[in-house]
Amino acid sequence: LERREFCRYLGVCTLAACTGGLSGCARALEWSQSQHTRVVTRTFGAPAPSAPSEETSSGEASRSAEATEPARPKPPDIAVVKGDDPAANTRLAVSMLGGMERFVKRGARVVIKPNMLTAREPELGVTTNPRAVAEVVKMCWQAGARSVTVFDRPTAPARQVYTVSGIAAAVDRMDGRMKVLTQRDFESIKIPEGRVLSSWPMVADIFDADVMINMPCAKTHGLAVLTMSMKNLMGILGGTRGLVHQQFDQKIVDVNTLVKPQLVILDAYRILFRNGPTGGGPQDVRMGRTCVAGTSQVAVDAYGTTLFGMKPADLDYLKLAAAQGLGTIDLSKLRIEKRSA
Amino acid sequence: VSPKHPAAARARPTRGIHRFRRVFQVSFLVLFFVLLTLTVWPLGSVFLGVFLGADPLIAINSAVNGVWLWPMAFAVGMLLLPLVAGRAFCGYVCPTGSIIEFATPSTGPGRLSPKARGRLRALPTFVLIGCLGLILFANGAYLFFDPLATLTRTATTLVYPALDRFVRLAGDVAYLAAPLRPVTDFVTGALEGRLLFPDPLVYGFQVGVLAMFATMLALSWIEPRMWCRDLCPLGALLGLVGRVGPVGRVVDSDACISCAKCARACPMNAVSEDFLRTDASRCQSCYACADVCPVDAVHLGTKPARWSYTPSRRAALVAGGAAAAVGFFSFTGLARATKNANLIRPPGGRPETDMLALCSRCGQCMKVCPTNVLQPAVAEAGLEGLFTPHMDYAVGFCDWSCNECGKVCPTGAIRRLTLPAKRTTVIGRAHIDRNRCIPWADAQTCLVCQELCPVPDKAISILEETFTAPDGRRVTLGRPQVVASRCIGCGVCENNCPVANMAAIRVYTTRPAS
Repeated sequence: LERREFCRYLGVCTLAACTGGLSGCARALEWSQSQHTRVVTRTFGAPAPSAPSEETSSGEASRSAEATEPARPKPPDIAVVKGDDPAANTRLAVSMLGGMERFVKRGARVVIKPNMLTAREPELGVTTNPRAVAEVVKMCWQAGARSVTVFDRPTAPARQVYTVSGIAAAVDRMDGRMKVLTQRDFESIKIPEGRVLSSWPMVADIFDADVMINMPCAKTHGLAVLTMSMKNLMGILGGTRGLVHQQFDQKIVDVNTLVKPQLVILDAYRILFRNGPTGGGPQDVRMGRTCVAGTSQVAVDAYGTTLFGMKPADLDYLKLAAAQGLGTIDLSKLRIEKRSA
Repeated sequence: VSPKHPAAARARPTRGIHRFRRVFQVSFLVLFFVLLTLTVWPLGSVFLGVFLGADPLIAINSAVNGVWLWPMAFAVGMLLLPLVAGRAFCGYVCPTGSIIEFATPSTGPGRLSPKARGRLRALPTFVLIGCLGLILFANGAYLFFDPLATLTRTATTLVYPALDRFVRLAGDVAYLAAPLRPVTDFVTGALEGRLLFPDPLVYGFQVGVLAMFATMLALSWIEPRMWCRDLCPLGALLGLVGRVGPVGRVVDSDACISCAKCARACPMNAVSEDFLRTDASRCQSCYACADVCPVDAVHLGTKPARWSYTPSRRAALVAGGAAAAVGFFSFTGLARATKNANLIRPPGGRPETDMLALCSRCGQCMKVCPTNVLQPAVAEAGLEGLFTPHMDYAVGFCDWSCNECGKVCPTGAIRRLTLPAKRTTVIGRAHIDRNRCIPWADAQTCLVCQELCPVPDKAISILEETFTAPDGRRVTLGRPQVVASRCIGCGVCENNCPVANMAAIRVYTTRPAS
């Protein structure tokens, strides 16, 4: 082997190795995106226990203030509270359902999904009231939660949305954790009962958690008419956002067949009654001063339509959900308890 | 004269502030990158653009074009500094100069013959004449070569996107280990919007920026610090002032033994052939010459003996004429894009002529932009508009809660707008392509554009219609239409439109054709 020839071989081999190495680098950079394309089956956590009084005997739950109240025989399906303080409304509504201890056991990992669609000040009614979110975080800690995580998949950069909506500061004050979602948090999850969506990337954290609390706000929506708790679950979807907007009502129902948050708290302290879901100005916002809580998304949304002067049957996705047996939208069959804080 | 002169054996301690030149350089380099890293939404009260704000080349360009911002007061001080300290900026402050000095050969003779080196000595003068020709005709394209703008641009388009990618990859790897997930989430949350962005940062023209910076470094192998010595327009400007400085390097001609050590040690090639005189347009006051002088003949003193290139009247006239001709033709359309419906300037951006005259092409607006929508113009604005900012709604959108680009612009090419003012500033207008829009062309529901439209009362209205779909079905659907009077051209609709690769709703400029 001549020196010249050897050098030539060496050069070619080095070039080939470099190319291989570089393409490896390129693949590494994109690697996480390819991680989650495989469709996996995940089961959502157990539904909320129906009777809270069984648990209070254990003694653990008596640590919190609500548990010392005389236990009601059976909590209502829907608790509706009116009042001037969103935090107090939320606290009372949850305690009417049997207190946070009913949903959050000691050591439970809790995720809270508020509506943080985009970066708007709380006064514009586009995002869930930060004081209500903070109060829920506080109640979770009081019930003995191990971790409380708050997240959404916003349409604007997460840091801006979390900051401008006031939710980051409110949750920080209560020592809750704001989680910024990235590509790696999504898994393609099978929706066994989905009629249009058979699988879609979803935030894996809600399947890892013990308890999920859905905290929507009451807004109008051009396509779904109203966006409340069922539609709020669309915020756990990853992938290309715009691609879920065809056969939208059925897709909302499909996601709701898989993900059934144990506790649903509809913040209607401010109601965005037109130009939803992103609003435009304070003129689109009406003070609802209401908090609606329940354990069924369908029931809560059915009641929520009355806040806008509508009937549950006005929403296609509610009709579809009822037809698929996800819950009742007949308000006369729901036990609704109203109080003021 | 032999270098082995008896006095040469004497060990001399260095003294004076120039001992700390490295400390100054590293400090300013670190400061530059710290400030640039902090240039993210939301901007705090710290004045983050101080380097670019204090750049006299940029300040003069803005002032000539009738824009004066208060940080330019720093630039006046910077411009007068060479009177007492020569081009100390180049040797002590300039972060670009520091990188060139640290990364490449910085002292000693290069590969060029003395004759060629002598020709290079004339270059800064003609660089300035060229800049002047462009200034006269409202063309700020020469600021592309400003060292501070160059470094800001290089860091913005290369360093931060690379950091973003690698932090992302590190997070993905750490996520494999379940115990590391809370830590990874914490770090991700802390860096979000600072070093990590929702989608990996991308910028057009990255390869051009890389090539330019690599060239600036590589020139040093022809001639040490050739960029700083011969080509940098800011250095040339400071050198012009330095020529008339009453203070500078003074050589005691009686003590000098002509050992040539000073000339070899000078990083700026500022020592004359007889070692007694100084090219005051180059001297960066580092006093490397004094440190190596075996007989202690070099001092800081008054009335320094000068030795600078002065162009002949003929050369100056020819160069000036050529520069003016280039300026004239560039202004009248040699390389100017006059009609481009896709060229949308950021809100607060001045009219096209002013934009091209003022913009320093530094890319600081692109650095602060949280959605990555601000992109460098490659061909959109013509050759002279290279690297001026424009909105690319395929990449991002102008966020309703952000008005930072105007705050960081060092030239006023993008005016500062308050948030309410920015929200009513019209930069473009959306048009729906009914041949591609899902409800119009495919008879399926979609209203993402209306859903996300941020303006009061929505610039997209939904037309509820019953019509026959292409396949013959009768369908009732809401179809989007643009309300032109409300649209501000923020591009949320275009960026979020689900129609793949090219949105079915696109924003075009509302700027009148020039």
